[in-house]
Amino acid sequence: MTLRRQIAAVIALVSCLVALTVGILVHQASVRQHTEQARKSATAALDTVLTGYDATGELVTGWHAAADDPAVPPELRRLAERGRQGSMLGPGPRGTAMWAAAGANGRVLSVRMDYAEDERAIADLDRAVQVSAALSVLVTVLAGVLAADRISSRLRTAARTARTIARGDLDARIGPLGRARDEVAELAAAVDSMSAVLRSKLASEQRFTADVAHELRTPLTGLLTASELLPPGRPTELVRNRVRALCGLTEDLLEVSRLDARAETPELADLPLGPLLARIVAATGTEVELRVDTDAVVTTDPRRLDRIVANLVANAQRHGRPPLLVRVEGATVTVRDHGPGYPEEVLRDGPQRFRTGARERGHGHGLGLTIAQGHAEAVGIDLRLANHPGGGAYARLVIPGPGDRPTATAAR
Amino acid sequence: MTTPVPGAPRILLVEDDEVIREATQLALERYGFPVETAGDGLEGLERFRAAPPDLLLLDVMLPLLDGVGLCRRIREESQLPILMMSARTEPIDVISGLEAGADDYVVKPFETAVLVARIRTVLRRTGLGPTAAAPAAAALGPAHSVRVIDDLEVDTDAMEVRVAGRPVPLTPTELRLLLEFTAAPGVLMERQTLLERVWDYSWGADSRVVDVHVQRLRAKIGAGRIETVRGFGYKLRRTS
Repeated sequence: MTLRRQIAAVIALVSCLVALTVGILVHQASVRQHTEQARKSATAALDTVLTGYDATGELVTGWHAAADDPAVPPELRRLAERGRQGSMLGPGPRGTAMWAAAGANGRVLSVRMDYAEDERAIADLDRAVQVSAALSVLVTVLAGVLAADRISSRLRTAARTARTIARGDLDARIGPLGRARDEVAELAAAVDSMSAVLRSKLASEQRFTADVAHELRTPLTGLLTASELLPPGRPTELVRNRVRALCGLTEDLLEVSRLDARAETPELADLPLGPLLARIVAATGTEVELRVDTDAVVTTDPRRLDRIVANLVANAQRHGRPPLLVRVEGATVTVRDHGPGYPEEVLRDGPQRFRTGARERGHGHGLGLTIAQGHAEAVGIDLRLANHPGGGAYARLVIPGPGDRPTATAAR
Repeated sequence: MTTPVPGAPRILLVEDDEVIREATQLALERYGFPVETAGDGLEGLERFRAAPPDLLLLDVMLPLLDGVGLCRRIREESQLPILMMSARTEPIDVISGLEAGADDYVVKPFETAVLVARIRTVLRRTGLGPTAAAPAAAALGPAHSVRVIDDLEVDTDAMEVRVAGRPVPLTPTELRLLLEFTAAPGVLMERQTLLERVWDYSWGADSRVVDVHVQRLRAKIGAGRIETVRGFGYKLRRTS
């Protein structure tokens, strides 16, 4: 239940309760007032009748004064027969009436005052109270909803911005959110300053990664060139192999940090996918079967598509088992191997740096998938990793065509 | 193995990191190139003036006078092939080196074989490489010819370029690029095609090399002559 609805419901409930209580109290008060009034009048009339009767033995005309009126309510009659005096509401010939009666010389003298008029007045009052209560409940609820709406829309703005930040756009800010200086504004300011701090932390982290990789390049260059001068032999091979691995790792790190920093804008072009993939696959130098079912023209950055496919193929070769199959179906490219498939965590959380499930899948540094994912995001390619029902890792790329506007996150 | 081949192109290597300098020198000498070295930009300039080499191999970050500055200074007096080496691949580093007049660049760390391949490609364009004449002549088409587009004249025999009768000095790479354009005026040249034909790059190389060279060429022969075809490449305007 949204905050808006909760606030509106509480306000509606409370104002209904208040209206109901006020209504009941007003109703009771007015009933009491009318009854007292009628009773007083009836008693006064009865007194006059009794006085007249005592003096003249005749009944005064008026007030429906009567002796032994059969219409007198039985309880009142019994009271009067016992020689006492009383009054009560009871049915009269024209609706409810206030009766007053007293015993005099064995007879029951009674007067009657019509009460129907009072009942109508009470009913009118009740209706007026109901209408105004209903109106005020409505107004209160509306006002409450408006107030709640303002709070909740500001909270929503804040939440939307926080989600944008969570998606990686650390430039997003909530801003002042109107002129109010309340808890919501405080929350917004706190979120903004948090994202600013995060941003600078992340920026320095990224700079650090890039700087480390760059700094590594100089000694690596010396090491690589020097290792090529070593006399041929198994030890030299081992050294060169490790130097090359170090170089590869450094380049991957640099690529990741460039992707993180969104340093480069994609160069999009409209290209037929089949021939492009043929070139990319040939350049991987891996034994891969390329099958083009249907070709399509796509809008993409060929260099980035190359990085995506090359990394997926390298990952398949390193962690999977042959045969490797790259398939083009329209604007969709799939890369499949026949190994143990992607590990659980990769499927669940997406590619993470340096996490490969290396124990089960051989070794590797786990940057390849991160790089593929990063490039895919930059050029609006939808990259999904899955395991094929027939076994093996199965990556699927859907590439935008000339008609689609790629949602390039790096094109800022 | 380490004796330089007589008549082989001489290389001046300017690099401040001692290990890279020494190892690269040794490695290049194994491939038969005589190599001289300098440890900073000013020493590089001195050595260049004392005995001009056939090719300059230049680190971007150097003490005293950095690679970009050195490259610019040398370009003022010579059109010799220049190859930059850079540990940074940020656009600004690569582009500033190319804008200063470098013909190509290699990213550190590089394998010696890659470096040698680049050196040979650049040398081939200047006519110093072993296979210089053959492909160049083939690309240039029939024997003596002067290609004329408006007031731009390209003498493919003398390898001279004139704009409105005035000779324009072009580096070998710029000339090679212009020849590609003048061979087919008005025809779209994709960046990839130019990369393959002028720089011998295979698939997947950095097309900024082309962009910067086209800009340098425009600055020398007139900005309006080469049109940009967005997303694809460039073409030479047939007439202005």
